[in-house]
Amino acid sequence: MTSTLKKPRHKKALLMPLFFVEGQVAVGVELIGQVVSMWFKTMGYIIRGDFDKKEAWRQSYMIGVKSFTVVAITALCTGFAMSLQISRELVLFGADTAIGGVVSLALVREIGPITAGVMVAGRVGSSVAAELATMVITEQIDALKVMRVDPIRFLVVPRYIAGLTMTLVLSVYAMAIGLLAGIYIASIAANLPAATFLDSVHQTILDRDFVTHFIKSEINATIIVMFSCAIGLHTRGGAEDVGIATTRTIVWTMTLIFVFNYIVTSLTYAPR
Amino acid sequence: MAMPPMLEIVNLQKSFGNREILKGISFKVYKGEMLGLIGPSGCGKSTILKLICDLLTPDGGEVIRWSDEIGLVFQGSALLNSYTVRENLALALNQRKLKKSDENKIIDDKLKLVGLAGYADAYPSQLSGGQQKRTSFARAIVNDPKIILYDEPTTGLDPVMSTVIEDYMLELSGQLDAASIVVTHQYSTWTRCASRILLMHAGKAVWEGSAEEAVVTENPYMKQFAHATREGPMLSGLL
Repeated sequence: MTSTLKKPRHKKALLMPLFFVEGQVAVGVELIGQVVSMWFKTMGYIIRGDFDKKEAWRQSYMIGVKSFTVVAITALCTGFAMSLQISRELVLFGADTAIGGVVSLALVREIGPITAGVMVAGRVGSSVAAELATMVITEQIDALKVMRVDPIRFLVVPRYIAGLTMTLVLSVYAMAIGLLAGIYIASIAANLPAATFLDSVHQTILDRDFVTHFIKSEINATIIVMFSCAIGLHTRGGAEDVGIATTRTIVWTMTLIFVFNYIVTSLTYAPR
Repeated sequence: MAMPPMLEIVNLQKSFGNREILKGISFKVYKGEMLGLIGPSGCGKSTILKLICDLLTPDGGEVIRWSDEIGLVFQGSALLNSYTVRENLALALNQRKLKKSDENKIIDDKLKLVGLAGYADAYPSQLSGGQQKRTSFARAIVNDPKIILYDEPTTGLDPVMSTVIEDYMLELSGQLDAASIVVTHQYSTWTRCASRILLMHAGKAVWEGSAEEAVVTENPYMKQFAHATREGPMLSGLL
């Protein structure tokens, strides 16, 4: 009797990771479905111009203006560290006039969008998910539906518009701060004048780099707003589930920001 | 009653996963009437309100409404915290595309009706629990609904504030001549406000009658509920 009971338990234990993976895949597919459906509805409202402009302004302030300090600090530190490393190596090879070009390439193509994206995901994505999840739990979303106010039009569309505009602004801002940090470090570590640094930037950066920067920023904004809203609006339960929704948002948005960053980079810069 | 009902629930069924919440409940609510939907926690009372408002889809049965103008007062008020009282009420008027001056007039009138004139620019966090509840009332009636649903409107309030809220419910019911349903556990609320009582147990209606009859009936379910005793069929299988 004992042995017949033990066998299935043992088998089940072995299969547990498979059940776990299967469950996670199902949850992930469901979430992606919710995000895609929400994105189409959101775009429908945006194309028709049917959204609350005042709320979009308010969200722009919440998402953008309130992120300026934190983005500035991270971009400044990243710019300092990167310029220090690059200056040190290029001076060794006598290529110090190329410092500006290399620093700016990294900033425009990768660091700017990534820094802004990660900071907005951490600061805004989590707060949007927590806010919407709380609204679900406290029946505020039900109240909107009873008043025939579509939560997507009312809550998601203004956040998406604000996210699209402010993430781009923050990316450019992070890039500019990083460049300033680069100029400062290059002048100290390599004794490079700002004019030489900027001349190198001018010669290295192409229009295509700015287009890539723009695309990455907008993809980041879409990932952050759509996933945080979808996770928040589909939360059920209580206070613990708000915490779970916040964590899920961070994990999904951060991971996807890096995944899509690589996809865009590989599509744009891979040798053909 | 000879007049047609404003709301008719026909053999309504609803399950969440394997849990059967409503097992085919039917009732009617007439204009000017307030139906008290009472019963132990988890018997499906609030689920009925959500099905009436299309917040949930029934697995079986039907909700027949003779008006789409429905106001719902939520248990926890459910006001939007980042919006002022006026903005919360304005949301409910959104569909009507009114002029700002007309909109403000309606909002001021409704706030006056619930004793909150002068609070239009306050945020929900600046209001007391009773004031939030009354704001929720004002929001529910801002479109002069023909059907008003109250989900445990006096839960968590002190006895005096409960009486105030019950008085508002009676006043609004009289003024709007609407068909109302109040879901409640609170004895004073269903005995004072409801013109008819429907007792639910395990997803079914087990007794129906007036509030006066409810306290004297020998029906074992109603007797146990009205007298709040342990003896009776309601706790079987739960303890």
